[in-house]
Amino acid sequence: MEAILTDCVQNSLRHFMFKNAIFLCERLCAEFPSEVNLRLLAACYLQNNQAYSAYHILKGTQTAQSRYLFAISCFQMDLLSEAETALCPANEPGGEIPNGAAGHYLLGLIYRYTDRKKSAIHHFRLALSIDPLLWAAYEELCVLAAAEEATVVFGEAAALCVQKQYLHYGLASPNLHMSSEDYNSVSSQNFGSEDVSLRQLKHTQGNNLRDIPCNYHGAAVLSGPASQPQSGGPSNMSFYNTPSPMTSQLSGVAPPPLCRNVQPNGSNLHTVNTDVSPKSVVNSTIQAPRRKFVDEGKLRKISGRLFSDSGPRRSTRLTGDAGANTNANTTVIAGNGTNSSSKYLGSSKFSTVTPRTVTVRKGQSWANENIEEGIRSDAFDDARANMTSKSTSSFPSGDIRSLDQDGETVPVGGVVISGSKVISGASEVLGLLRTLGEGYRLSCLYRCQDALDTYLRLPHTHYNTSWVLSQVGKAHFELVDYLEADRAFSLARRVSHHSLEGMDIYSTVLYHLKEDMKLSYLVQELISTDRLAPQSWCAMGNCYSLQKDHETALKNFQRSVQLNSRFAYAHTLCGHEYVALEDFENGIKSYQNALRIDSRHYNAWYGLGMIFLRQEKFEFSEHHFRMAFQINPRSSVIMSYLGTALHALKKSEDAIKIMDRAILADRKNPLPMYQKANILMSLEKFDDALEVLEQLKEYAPRESSVYALMGKIYKRHNMHEKAMLHFGIALDLKPSATDVATIKAAIEKLHVPDELEDNL
Amino acid sequence: MATESSESEEEGKITGGNQHLIVEDDLREMGKKAAWSVSSCKTGNGVSSLRDDNLETYWQSDGAQPHLVNIQFQKKVKLQLVVLYVDFKLDESYTPSKISIRAGDGFHNLKEIKTVELVKPTGWVYLSLSGNDPRETFVNTFMLQIAVLSNHLNGRDTHVRQIKVYGPRPNPIPHQPFQFTSREFITYSTVR
Repeated sequence: MEAILTDCVQNSLRHFMFKNAIFLCERLCAEFPSEVNLRLLAACYLQNNQAYSAYHILKGTQTAQSRYLFAISCFQMDLLSEAETALCPANEPGGEIPNGAAGHYLLGLIYRYTDRKKSAIHHFRLALSIDPLLWAAYEELCVLAAAEEATVVFGEAAALCVQKQYLHYGLASPNLHMSSEDYNSVSSQNFGSEDVSLRQLKHTQGNNLRDIPCNYHGAAVLSGPASQPQSGGPSNMSFYNTPSPMTSQLSGVAPPPLCRNVQPNGSNLHTVNTDVSPKSVVNSTIQAPRRKFVDEGKLRKISGRLFSDSGPRRSTRLTGDAGANTNANTTVIAGNGTNSSSKYLGSSKFSTVTPRTVTVRKGQSWANENIEEGIRSDAFDDARANMTSKSTSSFPSGDIRSLDQDGETVPVGGVVISGSKVISGASEVLGLLRTLGEGYRLSCLYRCQDALDTYLRLPHTHYNTSWVLSQVGKAHFELVDYLEADRAFSLARRVSHHSLEGMDIYSTVLYHLKEDMKLSYLVQELISTDRLAPQSWCAMGNCYSLQKDHETALKNFQRSVQLNSRFAYAHTLCGHEYVALEDFENGIKSYQNALRIDSRHYNAWYGLGMIFLRQEKFEFSEHHFRMAFQINPRSSVIMSYLGTALHALKKSEDAIKIMDRAILADRKNPLPMYQKANILMSLEKFDDALEVLEQLKEYAPRESSVYALMGKIYKRHNMHEKAMLHFGIALDLKPSATDVATIKAAIEKLHVPDELEDNL
Repeated sequence: MATESSESEEEGKITGGNQHLIVEDDLREMGKKAAWSVSSCKTGNGVSSLRDDNLETYWQSDGAQPHLVNIQFQKKVKLQLVVLYVDFKLDESYTPSKISIRAGDGFHNLKEIKTVELVKPTGWVYLSLSGNDPRETFVNTFMLQIAVLSNHLNGRDTHVRQIKVYGPRPNPIPHQPFQFTSREFITYSTVR
């Protein structure tokens, strides 16, 4: 009875029927209370977005798997300290982190959000070393500016690592190492070896437990297809783009970068649970061959124990198992895909036994759409198609084993990967990851031109995906090249209409370009796509701010903050609105919130600098601008403000130097020239100032403040006619009311001796 | 400033009124930062009705003339425009007729800066605070007092439905002598 119930539960999970799964699982736990079943129930809850239930069930459990799941539920409920103690108990300092790479990754995130950068970096690096295809960890390292070059991380060593994992896996099950497409034989062999299956199960579990904390914006969250619960397994599906013979290919669902196994731990657990039943064993065995997988080194540990507590390393590799696994993968991916957008942890649903072909197809389309990174590789699709066909063909044999749920691993397809195929597959994946990783790392360091060049090296199919295009747009934005950014982002929208990643930056680009029509249109689309995404509300706030309705804009940004309090940009935008409303205290608080979340968010440093500049606390202002400058040394705007602050501190030579640098950095930016003229004027170097302003006049001929400043200088020089002329032109160019008043007053004073000269 | 008045001298007469409140873009409403008080009011029709953005509610005074609305700021602000919503058709003898605007540092040194006579107003009435001199575009003050000196048909008490006070927007970029007008400058002038 237990086995049947477990089967039903996993079936329901695979089909995304959560309520059914939860109900049946509760019956299962009531009838056979055991930790395994409890884990299964927790997994059901997690997939149904009820982290709180999972939390309560798993409280106090000790096994590694349970601890991992518990940590995930704590993380989702924002109880970071509990999550941390679960993953690495205080009384066991040297203890093993459950679930290998996934566990390290989760721990890294916890450390990051509790402001312990060094430990976070340490764990992300560990996770990457265990599983080099764990893109999410690399991304986090980039954000923390602690990433090594992509060529190192995704290099030779990584390829060997991947290969080792697969080989290990293969070793564990002698059947695995079949380099032929001998699915049936494989399966039959597998059938025989229970041990192997168990081991495999464990492996899969390991793979599955990769959780990806929800707060992943955009990064690659490709939810790794969780291995089917039944097949204990291969949660890690690696997607290989290589169109080489299917056998070695596992359904590459996602292009390498997104290997994240977003799988609920539960799934792994489930598999574990299913292990109990002979069916699952069978399944797992079958699955095992397919999985190219990963548990490196821990194979040994997987002994006859059903549950592998030691987290064998779960590589986040998405191992696409051929055949059933593939199916599972694809569906899983699909599931993950949807989930990833909703910050779901591991919602991998495994495709169940249902006709593989169906699943596969579904999976394929899902996977295609839901790949957040938007990297779709054609090769990959081909691979998948191939696999599907393979699986279908192998299906009949699988059918015989009606026991298997998904495991019909018969169509093993991918499992039999020979060593050389693994290596070549791995290196292709890694090659792609290298380029993307390098691009991302450079753009996090704000070396945007280099990042753009790196992205251009990507193959066309990868470049034209929403993740890459958004990154390109972001890079242009940082270079203050708003037109190009607009182009890149609109391409990204066309390629992937539903993706919200990076749309907040796009709305800022449109704000800068003052395109209120486009911005309103964007906002409408975003809100209708997802009302609960922080990016949509940020965009709406930008729209109102463009119309100068700062209070409504502030409300929208606050909504965005409520939706995701770890979204640093929303806090910064709130800060900007507070400043516009002249509420400096709250502005400072908002900027500081943003910095707490991401201390490399240079916009927040800039915002603080501006507040202090307004409040005339010039030293603070200079410090903050300098911090912003250190983070993004190429932004001419920041440089010009740093110069202004320096000038206010009377360090005018440094100010002029920085202004010159700013002018060089971006010829199109008129601001540093204008500021330089200002500084020169206050240093009484009138001729130099006039020279600069003459240049500026050609550059921006309709800017009234240029003429006004020139008029002022001529007035100081007592060249009244010229001053009059320039003031007149300035007035013609329709300056703001305050300036009109100032200029007119200046004109009047032109005919009056300058004794009572005030600041004019 | 869109004034619907035909005033040409200091003491002008204003007739009519806009149904819609239209104010130039470079002005912003400053009333939120001020403390508003009135010389007297009837229960239920207090000073909050002047600021609730609801034209159905009104302030009704309850004492001797002149009736005063005091607007006090924490620091000196530049003000350019005062807009009132008054309606003869609805309020008849409660409609204000002579209004005097005073400014100063506090109650002790208010000076009249503008007097206006309204003749059957029916909507938003714009009272510009600028003088003729370009240097007097704004009134830089701590306090503004709007005094209703008399009403239509010699009514004793007055109804005012809404009051808004406008001043210039500050320069978004601090420490700049002038504001930027062209798109290139504005685009590059801030980081968002």
